[in-house]
Parts: sequence; C-alpha cells; structure tokens
Amino acid sequence: MGGLSAISAGNGWLIAALGISVVFFGLASLAVVISYFPRAIGWWNANVQTPQRIVPTIKSLFSRRERKAALPAAKGDSHEAGELGDVEEALRLITAHMGEPFKLPRLIEVAEQRGLARVHSTVDRMLVRGTMVGGPDGLFRWAKAGATERPSQTE
Amino acid sequence: MIPTEELRKYEVFADLDPTELKFLSNMAETTQAREGEVLIRAGLPARTLYILKQGGLMVAFPDGRAITFHKPGRVVGWSALVSPTCYTASVTCLTDCTLIALSGSELLRLVQRNVAVGTKIMRKISEVLSRRLPFLREEDKRRLRDGR
Repeated sequence: MGGLSAISAGNGWLIAALGISVVFFGLASLAVVISYFPRAIGWWNANVQTPQRIVPTIKSLFSRRERKAALPAAKGDSHEAGELGDVEEALRLITAHMGEPFKLPRLIEVAEQRGLARVHSTVDRMLVRGTMVGGPDGLFRWAKAGATERPSQTE
Repeated sequence: MIPTEELRKYEVFADLDPTELKFLSNMAETTQAREGEVLIRAGLPARTLYILKQGGLMVAFPDGRAITFHKPGRVVGWSALVSPTCYTASVTCLTDCTLIALSGSELLRLVQRNVAVGTKIMRKISEVLSRRLPFLREEDKRRLRDGR
C-alpha cells in the first residue's frame, strides 16, 4: 500500500486538516493581538510614560481619602472647596518643613510623593487666586492675609 | 493649520503682516496636554516651540526655581530657535492645556529663507530670552554665547 491510499489508511487527511486549522487559528489569534498594539501603545504613551498622571490614579485606588478627592475630578474640572482646602492645608504643612520662600517644583514633587491628589491643578488655582505667589527670584511664597494681587512671575 | 487671525492675537507674531502669517499658519498645529504632563524636559534636544492658548504652565529651571504662565500667548521652548537647540528648562502643565505647536526646524528654515519674517520673530524671541536669562545656569548661558 502506498500513495493516496496509504494517506487515507493512516488518517492523513484528518491530520492535515487538523494541522491547517491549528496554523490558521494560531495566525488569526496573532493578527488579533497585533491589531490591538496601536491601542496598547497609545495607552502606554498616554499613561505609563508620564508617571505623574498614573501614580496619583494608582494611589487613589488604595487610599480612601485620595479616592474621595479624585472622584469630582473625573466628573469635571471642579474641586470641592473643602478638598481644595485640605490639599492647600497639606501643602502649607509641607512648606512649613521646607521653609519660605520655597521651590515650587520641589513642593509639587514632595506633595505627589505623599499621595496628594491633583497637586498641579490645586497649585494652579492657588496661583490664580493669589494665595500662593511667585517672586522675581523664581521662588514662591504664601500670600499674606488679605493680599490677592497677581505677582510679577505669574504671568 | 491655525487661522492667521488667531495667530495675529499672540504677541510673538503681532508684528507680522497677513502674508507673513500665512507661512506660519501652515506649519502651526493645535495640541492638547494634560494636567501634570511634562511638555518639555531640560537637557533634551529642542524640537518644538509652544505658544500657550489656554491653561497654566510651570517652567522649572534646573536649580529648582520656577515661573508660571497663565496668559494666552506666552512662549515656551524658545531653545528650538536658538543654537545649541537644547531645552534649558522643563515645562509642566499645571492644568489641562491647549497649545500651538511649531516645529523648530521648519520655523528656522522660514527664518533663514525670509529675512523680514526672521527679523520680526527673532526680535520677539530675544525679548522672551532676555526675560528668562536671569534663571539660566551659567553653563547654559555659556552654551548660548558659544552656540554649541
């Protein structure tokens, strides 16, 4: 026995069909995975390469207090007055250790390390409101009570 | 592409006439950046010049000092036009920002090709640079002086 009859006798056609199916499904699965690469790379670029954004999000998942602060941010751009006050209070405590005038990038870095949520926008609001002021020397201070004018280095 | 009427509103392009603005209009693009995003990193090759359209920015110098911008029209990334085209400060978005981005190499090409446009733009850039100069490190000042 040989040739096609030998193939039939040894279940060759079935084995060949099975082989073709395995290769087909393997390649199809690979194609599906590859088709998701642009989305995965987009997510990576948007989140993982800029840890300043993802770190507070991850931290907020594990901290009840931070989750409370992060929730309104997801709905819109508004801070609750109380939350803003909390973060401001925390920033004041940090600067009490750092001393005045302080370096703003350092303050933001320390605040993020301590897990405060949305430090950048809180600092921005304080600068706009005049609670925190920048000096011509590039260092920042807390405004004295009653003073709300815009400083020269906050353009 | 950004309409010329919009570009004319920004101080850095205020001296340009409509024909000159048209050159810039074709190369300018609107870009968005999120709160906390680092737009520019000090020490990296300067490829893009940004103009703030909306939002708040913090320009942080290597010694830890910083200045913040909130007014539309403020320019960051001037290093893209000045040799050795290397950013001298980091820029972080304090809020979600809308910016106008201009490719440094395209802008330099325009400046070199068109003397009138070049003179007007570089005059404005030198004004920006003179305001930031006190914050630069001696090393960066020396590099700017030597052009390398």
